[in-house]
Amino acid sequence: MKRLKAESAETSQDESRSFEFERLFMEHWSSVYRVLHRLVGDPAEAEDLALETFLRLYRETEKQKTDGMNAGGWLYRVATRLGLHSIRSWKRREHYELTAGRYALEESEQASPAEILARQEERGQVRLVLSWMNERQSHLLVLRHSGLSYKEIAEALNLEPGSIGPLLVRAEREFEKQYRALAQEE
Amino acid sequence: MQKHLNDGELRAALDGELDARSLQHLETCTSCQMRQQQLQEKQREAGRLLAFFNPAEQTAPSAQRAWSRLSQKIMLQKEISMTKKWFSFPLVRFGFAALALLTLFLAFPGTRVWAGEFLNLFRVQQVQVVSVDFTGLEQLTGDGTLGNRFTEMIGDSVDMQQEPSEPVSVASAEEASELAGFEVRIPEGMTPSQINVTSGAAFTFTVDRAKSQALLDEAGRGDLVLPESVDGAEILVNIPSAVSIGFGTCPIPGSEVSGNTEQSTIENRYPDCVIFAQIPSPNVNAPADLDIEALAQIGLEFTGMSTEEAQAFTSTVDWTSTLIVPIPQNASVNEQVAVDGVTGTLIQRPSGEGPQFALFWAKDGIIYAISGLGSNAEQAMNIANSLP
Repeated sequence: MKRLKAESAETSQDESRSFEFERLFMEHWSSVYRVLHRLVGDPAEAEDLALETFLRLYRETEKQKTDGMNAGGWLYRVATRLGLHSIRSWKRREHYELTAGRYALEESEQASPAEILARQEERGQVRLVLSWMNERQSHLLVLRHSGLSYKEIAEALNLEPGSIGPLLVRAEREFEKQYRALAQEE
Repeated sequence: MQKHLNDGELRAALDGELDARSLQHLETCTSCQMRQQQLQEKQREAGRLLAFFNPAEQTAPSAQRAWSRLSQKIMLQKEISMTKKWFSFPLVRFGFAALALLTLFLAFPGTRVWAGEFLNLFRVQQVQVVSVDFTGLEQLTGDGTLGNRFTEMIGDSVDMQQEPSEPVSVASAEEASELAGFEVRIPEGMTPSQINVTSGAAFTFTVDRAKSQALLDEAGRGDLVLPESVDGAEILVNIPSAVSIGFGTCPIPGSEVSGNTEQSTIENRYPDCVIFAQIPSPNVNAPADLDIEALAQIGLEFTGMSTEEAQAFTSTVDWTSTLIVPIPQNASVNEQVAVDGVTGTLIQRPSGEGPQFALFWAKDGIIYAISGLGSNAEQAMNIANSLP
């Protein structure tokens, strides 16, 4: 009888965990996807990476309860890491540059093809620089320019909110330095 | 009077993130205002370049559709976890990993074509080892993107007809024989510490050439080209029930200890554990026109063999009757030994790299494997030579 009760309690816990996970998914899916889409430039790859991010969250919820966990911050951190890791692969980067260019042409109705091409080249270089930079600095730049508040960034990266401003200044200086160096090379 | 603001605070002010007290200072301090203006100028270019990250106008794919895809992935992960658990018993994992790889290494002569389009191609009569570089395989089985894609492809391509059960503990060889459906052998004069029976599995694997080739390309092996003819081929695999017999202090199958503990801890905890596994030969059926020899060649080259080495190996193996056991390159020694009236293979590995020894042989349609975590490979020979 005791065993039956224990099993029933376990089933109820599983259901509650599933429900909570679905709620988190519905709440964060769009924003996680958008960050990844801008980061990798390819909608299909962004969707795959976003699903992988949530799959990792699911595994995490199997290990610990999500009650005290900042799921949003966790998702942004993991998604950005997956995106940066993905664009580091030169084979994929080549693929992204092609597909991102194609999607940019479809999206932009007013700009001329030459303008779109120039913009895509520029974005490709920005992605490249982000993938080269120190991981924390890349995370800061991606999350801040994706619209997250200092508080949200601090939670995602386990930092003090007061440290975000100075870290952003340094990250942007480093980004600009590396971007200029890359532009001079090409 | 409050001191002047630093660059970080000035940056926070630009983002509307500065606290009220500091903001009040900024509104009245000309020096800070000038420095903020300079900072804004410097930041302008980085801001412009990174502006495309602003997702204001971008739409995302349907959350419902994405949820449905994710649910499928989670189900697949659960199925794989179950399979992993099945393989968690050390010897079962080590010995049966060979069977899983088997489907990649099969070939057959045309003379065995059955009536109809299928061919019963495989019955184990001997065991042969092949040294492979596991780096390529680890890429496919790890947690990286490639590993995940491989897992997804397997999930999409495999249709399980029969799931393996959790291991069932039994008290005697007779009980094990009855449950497993073949005559289980126990060495004379030795008392097992545990006997476990795992029911068999059956599945159909349908080859998706495009996905498989994409994986090879992504693994940096675009030089290996799968034949067009493999696309859509159905390979039917039927793995019978298996019995594992433990001697000494061994981990309980399916327990956290056997499944999730570091290998070094397992070795320290179970130094005298020896496991004797027995399983009837699996049945593998594939379309008669499937060029499995070409697949075997690609599989071998993927694991680090040169084209010439792979050709030499494939030409010497009787693929219809040989169980191929992959062992890590440079990390194992293996020798042919006389065992149970046939020729077997004894593999010994350096400390800290999994089971220290394993002895494989096949007789009368049954595959036998003895492996241990200790350093005395003689134990395996003693067990094999004590069989009735």
